[in-house]
Amino acid sequence: MEDSLIEALKMAVGARYLVLDPMALLTYCCDGYTLAEESPRAVVLPATVEEVQAVVKILSAANIPFLARGAGTSLSGGATPLNGSVIIHLSRMNKICEIDVENRVVVVEPGVVNVHITRALEPYGYYYAPDPSSQQACTIGGNFAENSGGPHCLKYGVTVNHILMAEVVTGAGEVVRIGNLAGEPEGPDLLGLVIGSEGTLLVATKLWLRMTPKPQDSQTVLALFDEVGEASQAVSDIVAAGVIPAALEMMDQLAIYAVERGAYPVGYPPGLAAVLLIEVDGEAHEVPAVAEDVHTVLSAHQVREVKMAATPEEKARWWANRKTAFGAMGLISRQYYVQDGVIPRSRLPEALSRIAEIGQRYDIQIANVFHAGDGNLHPLLLYDERDSDLVERVIAAGSEILEACVQLGGSITGEHGVGIEKREDMRRQFNDTELSAQYAVKDAFDPPGLLNQGKLLPSAPTCFEAKPAPVQSS
Amino acid sequence: MEIDTGQCVHCGLCLPACPTYVETGLEAESPRGRVLLLERLEENPELMNDAAAMFLDDCLGCRACEEVCPAHVPTAHMVEEWRAKEAYWPDEVGPEGFAVFRRISGPLSFFFGSARGLAWFQRLVRWSHWPVIGQWVSHLRFVPESARTLSEGLPHRVPKSLSRIRRGNPPAAPTDKAMLFVGCIMDTIYAETNHHTQDLLQLGEVEVVVPQRQRCCGALHKHGGAPEVARRWAQENIMAFEESGASTVVVNAAGCGAMMKEYSNLFEKEDPWYARACRLEEAVVDATAYLASLPLPDGAPQGAEITVHDPCHLAHGQGIRQEPRQLLKRAGYHIQEMPDSDLCCGSAGIYNLTHPAMAQSLQKRKVESVPEGIGQVAAANPGCLMHIQAGLRKQSGTVEAVHPVDLVWEAYHRQGVV
Repeated sequence: MEDSLIEALKMAVGARYLVLDPMALLTYCCDGYTLAEESPRAVVLPATVEEVQAVVKILSAANIPFLARGAGTSLSGGATPLNGSVIIHLSRMNKICEIDVENRVVVVEPGVVNVHITRALEPYGYYYAPDPSSQQACTIGGNFAENSGGPHCLKYGVTVNHILMAEVVTGAGEVVRIGNLAGEPEGPDLLGLVIGSEGTLLVATKLWLRMTPKPQDSQTVLALFDEVGEASQAVSDIVAAGVIPAALEMMDQLAIYAVERGAYPVGYPPGLAAVLLIEVDGEAHEVPAVAEDVHTVLSAHQVREVKMAATPEEKARWWANRKTAFGAMGLISRQYYVQDGVIPRSRLPEALSRIAEIGQRYDIQIANVFHAGDGNLHPLLLYDERDSDLVERVIAAGSEILEACVQLGGSITGEHGVGIEKREDMRRQFNDTELSAQYAVKDAFDPPGLLNQGKLLPSAPTCFEAKPAPVQSS
Repeated sequence: MEIDTGQCVHCGLCLPACPTYVETGLEAESPRGRVLLLERLEENPELMNDAAAMFLDDCLGCRACEEVCPAHVPTAHMVEEWRAKEAYWPDEVGPEGFAVFRRISGPLSFFFGSARGLAWFQRLVRWSHWPVIGQWVSHLRFVPESARTLSEGLPHRVPKSLSRIRRGNPPAAPTDKAMLFVGCIMDTIYAETNHHTQDLLQLGEVEVVVPQRQRCCGALHKHGGAPEVARRWAQENIMAFEESGASTVVVNAAGCGAMMKEYSNLFEKEDPWYARACRLEEAVVDATAYLASLPLPDGAPQGAEITVHDPCHLAHGQGIRQEPRQLLKRAGYHIQEMPDSDLCCGSAGIYNLTHPAMAQSLQKRKVESVPEGIGQVAAANPGCLMHIQAGLRKQSGTVEAVHPVDLVWEAYHRQGVV
């Protein structure tokens, strides 16, 4: 990087918060998706919106690509720098600015860890509803970029349903507020457009979030199955019975094997084919009745055992066990490649058997741990990066799984985002006209195409018109 | 132990648990960043530079990341292995922390390696309180500059003799025979805490033996990168335990307890010492956890509220969080919890000597999170006690850092039970 640019960035954030050492930069070479790696050109750590703005202005004037990063827990490469991008690491912007109980709004900076918001709201009887499994580490800015979900989104909705207003810095370095505290769009729903745009349109610097009252009561039901088909049928039947669980999660045999060796073993009996975790919540008087309904539906299937959590500690353990499942894969495999396809809930049995068939055909071990209630699959394809043939098979199999999801009437991503990983798979989902419309949006927000290059949209169009090609091919 | 970073899947769940990441916001100062550095350096040692060495050496060894890691990646242990391999760099290269450790590891071995050395150490610390001699002590060549700030945290009265030479009143019908591990800092600066531990054990019908042969657990050397010293001292402690005839080893310093529960790591599996170390490991219990399990009486409610700091090597290293609280509550204390009670205070063995800047940032964070109106901060580890006390005195308040055993003893003492 040119000396004048280095000086300018130092002026903007302070010399201490401009990182140029190659080994320090190396640690930013990827996020939770490890199949693509590149060191950033530099990392800056601004502390205020003014500093973010100054940095963006300097970079855009120099025509240098850049991206915002939070905790780097993204699973599709959203926080991985490509094409010599500069990373704007928002870890220092981690304050909870205001808790406005009267209006049920909590105001936070983008670097705040998701679960810290819930912890801060606890004394007031509220929480922040979207709970990605990485919530102990992932930041709200990343949730904004990815429109993150989580187990409890089945009942409470995803990130977009919980952000009322956002202060953002545009690619040109302007500070703008989008949305309003009433939560109703004025004109086109810009907030809905930018949430989930994976950092390709702008950088969020402050967010106004909805506070959700803590349900009076909740109960978690655990069902142990000897057959995956029975478990997936039970999922559909619970929802068909009119119950909307707060969360409805499933793990298969291999996933259970890994989590039982992890930080929070539950002590599942050996030989299980699948477990279902179902949480119901609401008013104190309705929860036991609904839990009983769930129990009845489950018992109508071939189920080994149905249990209710006896204590809050037991419930917390069941969930901690589930939520650390991805990380626990490290205990049974060097790497994993997680897919994030979505299918209509009723096609779950079919989808799981197709995934198993694909795994067999490519000779790959696949663990399944996912949000069954909303049909959001997370097949984890296990591999070792030292076996290049295996790596190729894993990528091919992953792609085929997504194809199957689209064929079953679903989508290629539920909550992990497209990132680098599923960029080319976008073509499975969208035709040329639809993609052109997306390019046009990108072009409207970021004409020089500097924001989070190489993500979300497939590489330069070949067979359709789009002006000007906004994304460089990597 | 072979450095194996393979279990890390780069999920990042460790980031908010890491004090150096919380403090700097830098990926390279996070456990995941350190694992990646170790992995790449293993593949290509040529990549090593000053910055990478500093990022790795900045690890406090607090093990918070190990506790939250879904795949049990032993990051703190791996960094320790790395230090042991790299600590013999020539003086002019490597991070400042290495240089400080090299300067003080010799004197540490002398002072903590024998009862005679400990008595000298106690004497010097006592002298450091005197105006003129104190100046001289703090300017001895092997005393790092950072020790001067730390000495702010010393108790006003440093005992005149080692705790190990006291004889207690044995219970009439003991239910267990325990060896009291007296440690080094505990044996000298906090000798009274050892006496109190002994009194409380006896109150709980346990016979206490205090072998004279025992010595420092070796943790400071192990963490600093000199496992060979730790190994020698571990052998002495193993022999002391075997000769004592005790079935339990009670340790009231979290750092020593965590170290002694891993003594077998110091020996190869084929080494006969390995099995002996395993037997000691199984006998080691933390004093607060052990006392919480004894039939101690219910104390009268205490007036002032206290808060509890969870020492890293108690909470993350040994998984002990509730027991000190149970013990304190039973003695009559009301606890108001502080936020992030298990975030490292920056003491981390001799980290506050080798890495003063980071240690003081964390110290500030810790004392600022002590709730208003609190009289005492309970901390079951000598390093935390001294470091937090130094921070509290800087705040010019009257809050004291006290070992939970002392708090419990005082409560019972006021009621005439001990």
